[in-house]
Amino acid sequence: MRRIAIVEDEPAIRANYAEALRRYGYEVTTYSNRAEALAAFGTRLPDLALVDIGLGDDVDGGFALTRELRALSATVPIIFLSARDSDLDIVSGLRLGADDYLTKDASLPHLAARISALFRRSELASAPPATEDIVERGPLSLDLKRLTAQWRGQRVDLTLTEFWMVHALARHPGHVKDRDALMRDASIVVDEGTITSHVKRIRRKFLALDPGFDRIATVYGMGYRWGE
Amino acid sequence: MKRPRIALSIRAQLLLVLTVFLALPWLGVEYVRELERVLRDAQERTLAGTAQAVATALHDRPRLFATPPDPIAFFAREHIDDRLLSGASLPPSASPEIAQIIEGLSRTSARIWVIDRDGTVLARAGTLKAAEAPAPAETLLQRAARATIGRLYQLVLEQPTNEFRDDAATLGAPRGRDVEGALAGILSTNRRTTSDGRAVIVSAAHPIWVGDRVRGVVVAEETGNRVLAERNRAFERLFNIVLAVLLVGSLALTAYASWLSSRIRRLRDDAERAIDEHGRVRAQFASSGAVDEIGDLSRSFGSVLARLADYAGYQEKMASRLSHELRTPIAVVRSSLDNLKESQLSDDARVYMARAQEGLTRLTQMLTRMTEAARLEQSLSDAERIGFDLVPVVSGCIEGFRLVYPDARIAYAAPTAAIVVDGAPDLIAQLMDKLVANAVEFAAGGAIEIRLDSAGSQAQLSVANDGPPLPDGTALRLFDSLVSVRPAGGSGTPHLGLGLYIVRVITQFHHGSVRAQNKADGTGVVVTVALPLANS
Repeated sequence: MRRIAIVEDEPAIRANYAEALRRYGYEVTTYSNRAEALAAFGTRLPDLALVDIGLGDDVDGGFALTRELRALSATVPIIFLSARDSDLDIVSGLRLGADDYLTKDASLPHLAARISALFRRSELASAPPATEDIVERGPLSLDLKRLTAQWRGQRVDLTLTEFWMVHALARHPGHVKDRDALMRDASIVVDEGTITSHVKRIRRKFLALDPGFDRIATVYGMGYRWGE
Repeated sequence: MKRPRIALSIRAQLLLVLTVFLALPWLGVEYVRELERVLRDAQERTLAGTAQAVATALHDRPRLFATPPDPIAFFAREHIDDRLLSGASLPPSASPEIAQIIEGLSRTSARIWVIDRDGTVLARAGTLKAAEAPAPAETLLQRAARATIGRLYQLVLEQPTNEFRDDAATLGAPRGRDVEGALAGILSTNRRTTSDGRAVIVSAAHPIWVGDRVRGVVVAEETGNRVLAERNRAFERLFNIVLAVLLVGSLALTAYASWLSSRIRRLRDDAERAIDEHGRVRAQFASSGAVDEIGDLSRSFGSVLARLADYAGYQEKMASRLSHELRTPIAVVRSSLDNLKESQLSDDARVYMARAQEGLTRLTQMLTRMTEAARLEQSLSDAERIGFDLVPVVSGCIEGFRLVYPDARIAYAAPTAAIVVDGAPDLIAQLMDKLVANAVEFAAGGAIEIRLDSAGSQAQLSVANDGPPLPDGTALRLFDSLVSVRPAGGSGTPHLGLGLYIVRVITQFHHGSVRAQNKADGTGVVVTVALPLANS
């Protein structure tokens, strides 16, 4: 049975998440602060960690915990879960090695979908790619099993949300995807500004590999489009 | 806010107050008049003293008056009229002995007569017309002063002169009240104006006693010139000082008042600059360090503005803070409901469940909007500015709106020429979204007209909608955070008054301005955004 660690200072949320995830068949342990969690991780690593950024008085406790957890294991999937959703928080969280970032607006089914996707990704990371799960769009290749993306043969390090957004756009090149469609496909509920910053981050990641990248076009007032 | 312009400046008021000091010259005139009186008294007393001294030397010396009348003097007295015609000359002394005595007693500027009871001049010494003293050497400044201000004094003040007609020369001997008094045995003084009116002659007469009879009279005469000169000098000095004091005083006061009013004006300008037309505190107000009341006023202005800015900041951060605080309890509700959904529910419970979900959705919508405003402020700081053409962005947005709001009647004609501004196209799309959502809601099926054009150095984007006009006085507040002018009691989507606030924040990011006004015929509202063009 897969083990999930929830580090969250709000008891009601902690209990609700734990119960829901147990129902999905995971083994769940909960911690209310950083010291407690770190002590437990020291003896046995969880298979996935769900970390809140603010832990009581420890405002950035989640960030520190992530850094420490990454030092213990480079592969454990980590999801940030926070009431905050400023770009700065998202960027700092992802830079520390988190695999995804969710605000607490996310519903439990959305959360569960992400968790299972992340497990799939880490599980299949070493397995050989199966051709039927590969979507090829010119130089872009998306592995739907492993949830990884490649651009001109190079791996693009996308978070889960970003991968789903790229997938939603690239599946039907030339079609405009509006905000709602992107949110649905990426299993997130956010405002337009967040979509914009997600798209900006995705563009930046591709641009880092290929300075000439211009496939994601903004259609003002409507949404985004994958260009061919 | 209309304020009456300054009608009477502090400078003018202080100068008005300064007119009080115009009493100073009047006081000076009074003082000089008093001085003149004292000087005259002194002069009369001195003359009386002189006359008495001479008389004392002649008392009880009958021999001196025994001289028979001088035939020449007699003749002269008989022919006064002839002399008047032939030119004046004073009668000679008839008694050389007396003349010798009084010669020693006479003074430079006084004339002394000794006459007998008949009016015959027994002796005479001295002259009324003193030799003029040589003018002292003058500096250039003094000469300039004499040529200007001295000329003025000469016009106003009576000047002493030696050019007067000496009446004694024509009358032969002094005869006046004083002489009559002295003949009656009393020391008398007299003051008379010469017949040409150009000088005043002061005289004192003292009787000369021989036994108990008055045998003659000593008359001492002097012109008023010395007193006049003394008075004029005092007057001039006093006035020079008063004028100098007034001049320096008014210059100093004017300078002081200018300094004061410039400080107050600066304070006013600073205070006006510190707040923009929306009533928001624009920049840090530099409080003065001066230790007086104006400095104090400036400091209290500063603290009032700082508090106002704090409050405005608090209000603008409120949405962000609220959304942050609300997130956690909403997450509790949501996760609880999600869990509840998984368990076996009765049909009744399902109904309540659905209602709770609906309420939660609305709460989440509000939260999302609040977050949007807060996130926007954060993202502006690292937003990239590029030069871009407004036309495709706005046109694209409107294409999108026609899909999103199929019932709305949106009129728009794209301009043919490019309108390039500096900024972020994403933000402009967000601005359009807010403006049009607002217009669609208020138009309620009515027409919406969107215009985009460039005028001068500005791009103008206006969204006009049919619908109710703005309530009075709300046009500027509309763009503040958490201000909504929708009629109360509306249902459906919640209104937080953040849409137009976002419009304002984005407009400010583009260094533009935004205003809302009612249509001229009152059938709707026009919101106009003006953005500076890129290359201007």
